[in-house]
Amino acid sequence: MTPRLENISLSAKVLLVATGLMVLLGIAASQQVLSTLGRVQNDRIRELAAAHVEALSVALGPLVLRNDVWEVFDTLDRAASASGNRRAVFTAVSDATGRILAATDPFRAPVDSPFSELAQGAQELDQLDVSGAQGNMQLTAPLVYQGRLVGRVFSELDVSDLVSERVSVARLLLLWNAVATAGLALIGYFAMRRMLAPITLLAARMSETAGTPQPIPEHEVPPGDTEFSRLARTYNSMAVAVREKAEAERRLAERERFVSLGRLSSSLAHEINNPLGGLLNAADTIQTYAEKPEVVRKSAELLQRGLKHLRDVTRVTLEQNRTDRAGVPASPEDFEDLHLLIDPEIRRRSQQLVWEIEAGREALARVPSAQLRQILLNLLLNASTAAEPSGAVGLHVKQRKGELRLAVSDSGPGLSEAAEQRLLSSGTVPPGGGVGLRLVHDLVHHLDGSIEVSRNSGLNVIEVVLPYGQGTDA
Amino acid sequence: MASLAAIVGVAPFSARASGVFRLGLTPVFLDNDIRVLNGLSASLSEATGFPIEFEQRRTYEEVTGLLLQGAVDAAWLCGFPYLQHIDTLSLLAVPVWRSRPLYQSYLIARDTDPADALEDVRGTVHAFSDPNSNSGYLMTVSDLIRMGETPGEFFRRSIFTYGHRNVVRAVADGLVRSGSVDGYVWEVLTTEEPELTRRTKVVSKSEWVGFPPFCARTDRLNELKIAEFKTALLNLDKLDSGRQALDLLQLDAMVDAGPELFEGIAARMRDLDALR
Repeated sequence: MTPRLENISLSAKVLLVATGLMVLLGIAASQQVLSTLGRVQNDRIRELAAAHVEALSVALGPLVLRNDVWEVFDTLDRAASASGNRRAVFTAVSDATGRILAATDPFRAPVDSPFSELAQGAQELDQLDVSGAQGNMQLTAPLVYQGRLVGRVFSELDVSDLVSERVSVARLLLLWNAVATAGLALIGYFAMRRMLAPITLLAARMSETAGTPQPIPEHEVPPGDTEFSRLARTYNSMAVAVREKAEAERRLAERERFVSLGRLSSSLAHEINNPLGGLLNAADTIQTYAEKPEVVRKSAELLQRGLKHLRDVTRVTLEQNRTDRAGVPASPEDFEDLHLLIDPEIRRRSQQLVWEIEAGREALARVPSAQLRQILLNLLLNASTAAEPSGAVGLHVKQRKGELRLAVSDSGPGLSEAAEQRLLSSGTVPPGGGVGLRLVHDLVHHLDGSIEVSRNSGLNVIEVVLPYGQGTDA
Repeated sequence: MASLAAIVGVAPFSARASGVFRLGLTPVFLDNDIRVLNGLSASLSEATGFPIEFEQRRTYEEVTGLLLQGAVDAAWLCGFPYLQHIDTLSLLAVPVWRSRPLYQSYLIARDTDPADALEDVRGTVHAFSDPNSNSGYLMTVSDLIRMGETPGEFFRRSIFTYGHRNVVRAVADGLVRSGSVDGYVWEVLTTEEPELTRRTKVVSKSEWVGFPPFCARTDRLNELKIAEFKTALLNLDKLDSGRQALDLLQLDAMVDAGPELFEGIAARMRDLDALR
């Protein structure tokens, strides 16, 4: 897998950029050196060639003037065999009419052959350029004697030393640039790594524990008052703030569990208080009519029913707040309990409750009871609050293809934007809005479920979808 | 300077005023081998008792001029210039090469050249050694005349190298297609510089003619110095130093000879005269 550009670390990026710039600089500098060398070599070869032509003009001028083939050849031959003149590997001289008089190698340029053929492609003296030459370069120049053009000279100059000099300079430059760039890049890499170490540390700290950044220990904070030390301190205070906020949220969520219960307390108090009058009356009746067994029996029955109801309410309330329910699977009884808990509130507000549970025991058993109860209690309480008095509240539980769908509906005006955000978003949300909606969100999230909010034929529907695994659909 | 000397009546290069004997030479025939020249000079000085100095000039014409002017006492010439001035010049001695006072002219070409006769090098560049050389000019030119040709028409271009060794170089290096060369010089070079002659081949050889002789002005033959020099030449092979000098020149001895030795060259000259 090729690493993507955006995944390359900052120090590597800086190093790459610096290396690239150094390579560019190296190329530019090398180009400069090579072009200067080329100019120097051109000047040198032009100077040498000019001296060569000058010497030939002096030595051969009179001989060419009188067409002395032998003397021209003899002079060229002796000059060629003289040590120290290794540059000119071949020279030919023509007369003024353009016919070859003599050459150092007569086989290549026979007497009387046309000079123009030989000199085709040769460079003029003042335009000599070594840059394109491979080993030999060809030069042509007029042969002037006593101010008079008496013929022309063609010379092949051996510039292999200059060519190899250029090649070796180019190679040395390349090698040196490569070594220097590699060396500087290495130094740069370590320097960058050292300089960027605080950033790396910070990044590591930030990615170490997802969601809860860990502060950098004081001994790892860069000393002094540099931007990095300030950054580290700022990060530390931020990390502490995040941690405190998370703690506050946790406490808040904890509290939200009780808020719903708090909300229930008044209706529960009524639920307890309402039968209390009847119960006390029954107790009085028993005391008053102790001798009438029929009345006592009826009053005791009444007393028993009322106390049973109180017992159920108390049990459900206690059940709702038990802390040892973790891991207990849900069951149809949970819905009965929920019904019992929400019923007084519904009745108090003269609302209609539609209660449809179409999920089997097996499907329910795959969902934890405590979370299911907390989710539905909060949603139902919110629905009851949202629905106007004598409005409608409903719970529809269905099982579909490995999913448990819990739809809570109400006839209220719908969720406010803030409330919807609390319910649906994982991001930070402003305080306020629906009670316990954030708790619902967190619980659903932990169960890998999802929440859908819709409005359907005048009803607001909050549908919680909890997956319980494929193939277990009863 | 020369005109000033003429006005005051003194020969500018006169050798008579001093005790030195001046011998004219050209590199046409003898190469500038200092070892050969020193050996010959030392030996002749020993034999004559007076110092011998060489006056070297580039061409036969110049050396012949020196001899005629009296600027040199004697000269080693070619048979051709000797015959050109036979009225004024006399023979002192003729070298003996391979037992005879004779040599040949060679027509040479490069060793790889297919030519095997003069006719085969028609229309090419030819090297002569000297316009006053017998073997290096007269022989080939008179051959052409006998063929009904002239050098100017037969050859595309002909050049003079003023040296038999230079003719061999010009042919060997490919400057010219063919050359006219002294057969004696070519043969000596086959042992002295075999790498040079190996690149050439002899296309044709002339008849045997008189070897280049030592000459002096006839009107000075009675001078003691000239007579002693002639005696020294003729007896060179009897001296150790003389034999060493002759060995270096690959010559046997020097002999007295008459003009009839050069009849072959004279016949060629008549052909040349017919052209002129």
